[in-house]
Amino acid sequence: MIKVRIPTPLRPLTKGQGEVEAKAGSVLEMIETLNQAHPGIKDRLCDETGELRRFVNIYVNEEDIRFLNGKETFLKDGDEVSIVPAIAGG
Amino acid sequence: MSDLVIPQHILDDIVAHARELAPYECCGLLAGAGNQVNRVYRIKNIVAMEGAENLSSFDPAKAAHLERLSPAERAEIAFVMDMQDFSMAKKDIRNQGLALQVVYHSHPHDPARPSVTDIKIATDYEEIWPKINLPTPAYLLISLMHAEPDIKTYWIKAGQVTMADVLVH
Ligand SMILES: [Zn+2]
Repeated sequence: MIKVRIPTPLRPLTKGQGEVEAKAGSVLEMIETLNQAHPGIKDRLCDETGELRRFVNIYVNEEDIRFLNGKETFLKDGDEVSIVPAIAGG
Repeated sequence: MSDLVIPQHILDDIVAHARELAPYECCGLLAGAGNQVNRVYRIKNIVAMEGAENLSSFDPAKAAHLERLSPAERAEIAFVMDMQDFSMAKKDIRNQGLALQVVYHSHPHDPARPSVTDIKIATDYEEIWPKINLPTPAYLLISLMHAEPDIKTYWIKAGQVTMADVLVH
C-alpha cells in the first residue's frame, strides 16, 4: 500500500482525511485509484490533457515527481506520497 | 544575532520585481546560508490560471471573492506560486548548497503586513514544509501603497505573527 498525504484544500473530497491509502504501481495509477475512491480528485490535480496542474506538486518520499519520472514514476509498497498545494496568499 | 541578514541589492531586486508586476502581486523566494541571504528566485504568480484558487488553501470566502473577479483582477489581491518554478528553484537551492529562508510577495495596495489569508495559508503550510524537506521560512512583505516601498519580515507560526529581526547589510 502507498500512503498518500492529502492537503487541506482537497480534504473535502476525502471526507476530511489527511492521509489515505492506495494500491498503485505508479503515480498515474495512484491518481486513478484515488479518483475512484474520491471522485473529482483527478480533475483537481490534472488538466484536460492529463498533465499535472502547475499549482500542485506531488512528492514521492520527499522528491518531486517532476524530477523523477513524472506521472510514470514507479511506486512500491511503503512509499509515501505527498500532494502539495501551491504556496499562496492574498 | 539577527534572524536574517539581507543585502541591500537583494531588497532592491525584490522592490524592482514588485514594481514590474504592479498592480499585480509578485512572489518569490530568498535563499542563503546560515542567516545570510544571498539569492532571489522570482516565481510566477499563476492565480489567474483556471482552477488555481481551488487548489490553494484559500478560505471559502476568499475563493468565492476570487471567482467573481476577472483573472487579471485576481492577481491584484492574491498570488499562487507556479509550483513548476518553485520546484526548479528548490532544486537550484539544493544544488548550490543553500537553504530556503524566505517566501516573499507584494501588496500593491495594502500595508506590509500579512493578511488574514496570508496567515491562514502559512499556518496550513507549516505541516507541509517538513514533508518536502524544507525549513519553515520567514515571510517578507513589500507594500507599494505609498511612494516609498515598505518592507517587513515576519514569522508565522501556529497562526501567530511576530516580526523577524532583519539586518540590512
Ligand atoms: Zn499578502
